[in-house]
Amino acid sequence: MKKLLTAALVLLFVLAGCGTSSNTDSNEKLIIGVDDTFAPMGFRDENNELVGFDIDLATMIAEKIGIEIVFQPIDWAMKETELNSNNIDLIWNGYTITDKRKEQVNFTTPYLENRQIIVVLADSDINYKADLAGKSLSVQKESSALEAVLKEADLAASLKDGAPVEFDTNIDCFMDLEAGRSNAIVCDEVLARYVMKQRGAEKYRVLEDNFGEEEYGIGVRKSDTELLEKLNTALKDAKSDGSYDTLYQKWFAE
Amino acid sequence: MLIGKLILPLFEGTLVTLQVFAITFAVSLPLAILLASIQAARIKIINLFFQLFIMIERGTPLLLQMMFVFFGLPYMGVTLDRETSIYLAFVLNYTAYFMEILRGGINSVDSGQLEACQVLGYSRFASYVRVILPQALQACFPSIGNEVLTLIKDTSLITVLGASELLKAGRSAVNTYGTAVPFIYVGIIYLMLTTTAEFLLKKTEKKMDPVQGE
Repeated sequence: MKKLLTAALVLLFVLAGCGTSSNTDSNEKLIIGVDDTFAPMGFRDENNELVGFDIDLATMIAEKIGIEIVFQPIDWAMKETELNSNNIDLIWNGYTITDKRKEQVNFTTPYLENRQIIVVLADSDINYKADLAGKSLSVQKESSALEAVLKEADLAASLKDGAPVEFDTNIDCFMDLEAGRSNAIVCDEVLARYVMKQRGAEKYRVLEDNFGEEEYGIGVRKSDTELLEKLNTALKDAKSDGSYDTLYQKWFAE
Repeated sequence: MLIGKLILPLFEGTLVTLQVFAITFAVSLPLAILLASIQAARIKIINLFFQLFIMIERGTPLLLQMMFVFFGLPYMGVTLDRETSIYLAFVLNYTAYFMEILRGGINSVDSGQLEACQVLGYSRFASYVRVILPQALQACFPSIGNEVLTLIKDTSLITVLGASELLKAGRSAVNTYGTAVPFIYVGIIYLMLTTTAEFLLKKTEKKMDPVQGE
């Protein structure tokens, strides 16, 4: 028993040591909160390295501003809480600008356009938005897709069970669609096209109708107005000097 | 090949899972033994506090406790980093469960033994540590084993604070490669971890048994 206790104490001290050292490390750097399961914006490659369009863009912008950044994976459902409790400094990972979110965070100027598209299986009999009545529609929880669907209250109420089905991740929605439990999903176009390519585009059909066009922005704490301006200037520079386009081609060229 | 791309991310995820498991277990079980022993001394005011502690820890979800420690405590002026929050929440929660298990174990030992020890001239402390506690531990060993397996699986909750453990690594791979196959590998790894734990538990249980052991 004595040995076990000693081992536990040693572990506790090692642990305490780790905790404090990592804390002082990240104090002066800007911490960017990312959902590292969100391909192609931010995800892990085979070396477990964080890669993606937003990761590259953030690195480029940080260089332009001359600040150091670190990426902190977060649970996407907790992103605004993480920001407002100072655990992260920016939300930057396919973060759609919405009115509801504007109440909690400041957004930079949009840097990428996106639509909320409706995806069904190739042989589905759903052709228009109106066909969704009585059907099961799934979306990612806490996502802008969910917000877009709920905005059309009549349509949302006409769905099976009177509301969309919410899943943890978009890929869960796709799997549920293929399993035949969901009849349609609503999802960011950027992500949907990537997933469809991975899973076999011929299996799906994208409807002409959609749930509106949207834009991605960087989420900044309301009090960080100086940082917001710096980011906006750097984004503008990146777009005018062509470095943004190079990056865009790298990730989104067909 | 998909599996080649998955090896490293899943391996690193497994390391995080193992780390959280090992530290939580190594801290909470000894702590619970200590606290349960204090509880066995039946000091009213202290036991009232223990009861309250156990009620809160067992009565609310561990997920909520983690979120409270990380997101809630800063409102009270206590800001902990991610790792510390995870370990604090896990250790407190598992200490509470282990304490309840141990309480049962200690109660199961016939109180006549304590009297017998005193007749033989042992101090109260010595008789507790040398006679009562070993029997109590042996009696509640299967229940502790249960908690060990639960703990291995509960580590998957830490993703809510942004930690990248095994299940998260699997989910990430599912999103990246657009297939659910990584979940199968994740399941296999969890099974490997739990069966190894079960094997070690069985071995320890045999060793503790005065009849079968050394």
